[in-house]
Amino acid sequence: MRLVESIKKDFNTMTLVLIPVAIAINIVIGQIVLVLKLPVFLDSIGTVLVGALCGPWAGALTGTLSNIIWGLAIDPNSFPWFPVALFIGFVSGWCAIAGLFKTWWKVIITGILVAFTAAIVSTPIAVYLYGGITASGVSFITAFLLQTGRDLVTAVLSANFIVEPVDKVATALLAYAIIKGLSVRYLARFPRADNVSA
Amino acid sequence: MPENTPQASQDKFSRMPDRLSFYLERGSPFHRLNPLTKLTLVFCLIILAFFGPGYWLPSLLYLAVLIPLSLWSGVGREFMRTSIRLLLPLFGFLFVMQSLFYPGGRTVLVSLWIFAIKAEGIAFAYLTATRILVMVSSFLLLLLGTHPSALMNDFARRGVPAPLTYIIASTLQILPQMQAKAATIIDAQRSRGLETEGGLGKRVRALLPLVGPLVFGSLVDVEERAIALEARAFNSRRVKTSLVEIPDSQVERLARWTMLLLMLLALASRAWLSFKSRV
Repeated sequence: MRLVESIKKDFNTMTLVLIPVAIAINIVIGQIVLVLKLPVFLDSIGTVLVGALCGPWAGALTGTLSNIIWGLAIDPNSFPWFPVALFIGFVSGWCAIAGLFKTWWKVIITGILVAFTAAIVSTPIAVYLYGGITASGVSFITAFLLQTGRDLVTAVLSANFIVEPVDKVATALLAYAIIKGLSVRYLARFPRADNVSA
Repeated sequence: MPENTPQASQDKFSRMPDRLSFYLERGSPFHRLNPLTKLTLVFCLIILAFFGPGYWLPSLLYLAVLIPLSLWSGVGREFMRTSIRLLLPLFGFLFVMQSLFYPGGRTVLVSLWIFAIKAEGIAFAYLTATRILVMVSSFLLLLLGTHPSALMNDFARRGVPAPLTYIIASTLQILPQMQAKAATIIDAQRSRGLETEGGLGKRVRALLPLVGPLVFGSLVDVEERAIALEARAFNSRRVKTSLVEIPDSQVERLARWTMLLLMLLALASRAWLSFKSRV
């Protein structure tokens, strides 16, 4: 029962109030990136932030609800991708517990680990639900790899491995920059504040 | 909500979805169904479309179930318009890419330089497209006919933890405020000379001045809101009474069990078919 106790401790009132703001950050920054036409998604900064400050379970919940709310309010296409967001929050939470959120170069390692997880989790969804071709630009790389004779799963997986690291390293670094901009007194109210104090 | 969005004229940002739910107020019988019944229907249609037998099943579900339901609930026009807006670009892309690059393509229909359109690719793209159509438009139908807060209230009444429904309801409130704030920040930074168009380098450099004020501004409110909630017995475990009653009936309960059975049948038929093809 120690696991249940520690999960309960992660969900204090500050966590429950931070999660909606983090979800809104995910969505609004995702939309700003679309306006600026940047070649990345950056739609999980809030998820990584919650993972680092409130632990892996809170991060996983933030990611899941992010996709559900994106689906409720903007585009129902985002529902089936919730496992990807779930694992982004979960892995960044464990990375932070392992001390990979304390300096900027360790945060890059977090970004890479999160990217690999996202690439692996999104592959079966892209393959079985969308037949490999989704609405995002990643599909051009997938199509190229298919044309050179790779099978579908390999093509989707390698395309994801090419695209994800840039996006997720940038996401992790931006989340780190946000944490560095907050006061120690403010951060101390979150359950996993020790994860990010140097 | 749309009325307090600052109008950034002729701005791409003002084309951001300014409305936070798809819900349309109509007094139809579909609207009055219990939210859980409609959600079960959504999952049932999706499972049938993806796992049920038959190439034409998803098309049939769309034509014979989803379109009549949308007309019955009085949201037909909006249902069509929104699904076209959400799906047409994806489908165009899907057909082009799959007809050219589908791995199992043998029968070449048209060939041009190194590109060849294959019949198997088109057939596969059609199946995928109709499945996605059923998935997205059945969620859309649910959302057009059900207010998100009715869905959350019903969940809370059925024992879903209050923090979970609080998070969803609260996000749906915060989101339009943050979108309005983002539009204001973009306008303000542009008027100070920030360039949001041009080369990639310029656009990357524009990101921080836009994201910074938005994020820090909204994180400041978090602490205050936490104190306010703690002062209002948010952490109390006692059962709270609800102001709004959401109807449910014996017939609907029966319908939900029937749909659950249908889903299990579809999954079983898929499992049996793949077992048979392997032996």
